[in-house]
Amino acid sequence: MNCEEAGRLLHAYADSELELQSALAVEQHLQVCARCRASFAGVTALRAALARACEPERAPPQLRARIVRELRGRGAPAPAAERRRAWLLAAPGIAALALVAGLLLAQPWRSDPVHRVVLHIATADNTAANLRTLKNLLDATPGLHAVVVAHNAGIEFLLRGARDENGRPYEEIVRDFRERGVEFRVCGNTLTRRRIDTTAVIPEAVLVPSGIAELARLQGREGYVYLRL
Amino acid sequence: MLSGEERERFERLMLPHLDAAYGLARWMTKNDELANDAVQEAFLRAFRFFGSLRGEDGRPWLLRIVRNACLELMQREQFAAAEAFDEERHDGAAAGAVVVLPVNPEAAAIERAERQLVRDCVAELPCDFREVIVLRELHGCSYREIADIVGVPIGTVMSRLARARRLLQGRISQRVRRDGTGT
Repeated sequence: MNCEEAGRLLHAYADSELELQSALAVEQHLQVCARCRASFAGVTALRAALARACEPERAPPQLRARIVRELRGRGAPAPAAERRRAWLLAAPGIAALALVAGLLLAQPWRSDPVHRVVLHIATADNTAANLRTLKNLLDATPGLHAVVVAHNAGIEFLLRGARDENGRPYEEIVRDFRERGVEFRVCGNTLTRRRIDTTAVIPEAVLVPSGIAELARLQGREGYVYLRL
Repeated sequence: MLSGEERERFERLMLPHLDAAYGLARWMTKNDELANDAVQEAFLRAFRFFGSLRGEDGRPWLLRIVRNACLELMQREQFAAAEAFDEERHDGAAAGAVVVLPVNPEAAAIERAERQLVRDCVAELPCDFREVIVLRELHGCSYREIADIVGVPIGTVMSRLARARRLLQGRISQRVRRDGTGT
């Protein structure tokens, strides 16, 4: 066996995936070839480093509980995430209104109705429709406090110079919303990943370190109702 | 429609693989929220198609469904766009790293690498390479299982895994050297 062949089989050898004859041939080659031996040591070191660095993950108990609940809830259910998304995508405005209305009614144990909503925008596809949804939401729910958290492609309308399909600067539209008390928060991680300077974000929007963490914080700590647009 | 008995059988056979499913989803999506959604979706989908699992090992079967759910969700959430963007950037850097990679990979440098550095380097791999590394090194899947999960021939698994490891070796030793000289 020469170095080229040995090199080709080295990984399968390290993974004990070779049949006996090939494994023996690689082994013999490694005994006589220092260069291939060093390559093999590199593979072994990498595998050890990976085993050290990447401990097995544990699924959150809430996820387990949710799955068991869904499984037991019905015979053969439609996938939940798909259903939720399809529903919100199909008619964002109506769905969002219905959801908020439903939550207002469905929480009789709360003395105060849900007045805080966080809207999560992660794509740039439906910005105009999303902002219409937001407006409908505000019109339909007096006293509502809404926060928009934008990350990934969802941040695009909050960058300087962005315009809607009619050529109107989004900055103006956002300013109107700001006057109605809506807050806009932009994910700092997204900016870093996309190498966008913070000065490119319109001044009406506030920067937060992580969009996802902000969503979790608003829901978990501040009792916001989460809506995905 | 599945009976209660089949549901119990499903739970008994599949729930033990929940941690593995979640681990794979986390590494694939690199996003906790998406990983949760993908795993939940995959379990419900697996439940619906449980009848099609005949005598096979349940774990690779489930992981295949998890992987597909991840890819679909990532695509839907336009994480794919962000990923492509990242890959472009990293491949630009990696191309140089691979070319200058010495014949003798620096085992010593890799042994010195901090855990977080190793994790970062895995996370930065393009999705195709990341998934074979995660399936092989974290989940201990055989080449046959990986081939089934990813849907490629065994030969492709072998070459992809070799390439993924070379990329990782290059990146890790490069960073260790860089960090080493920086401090």
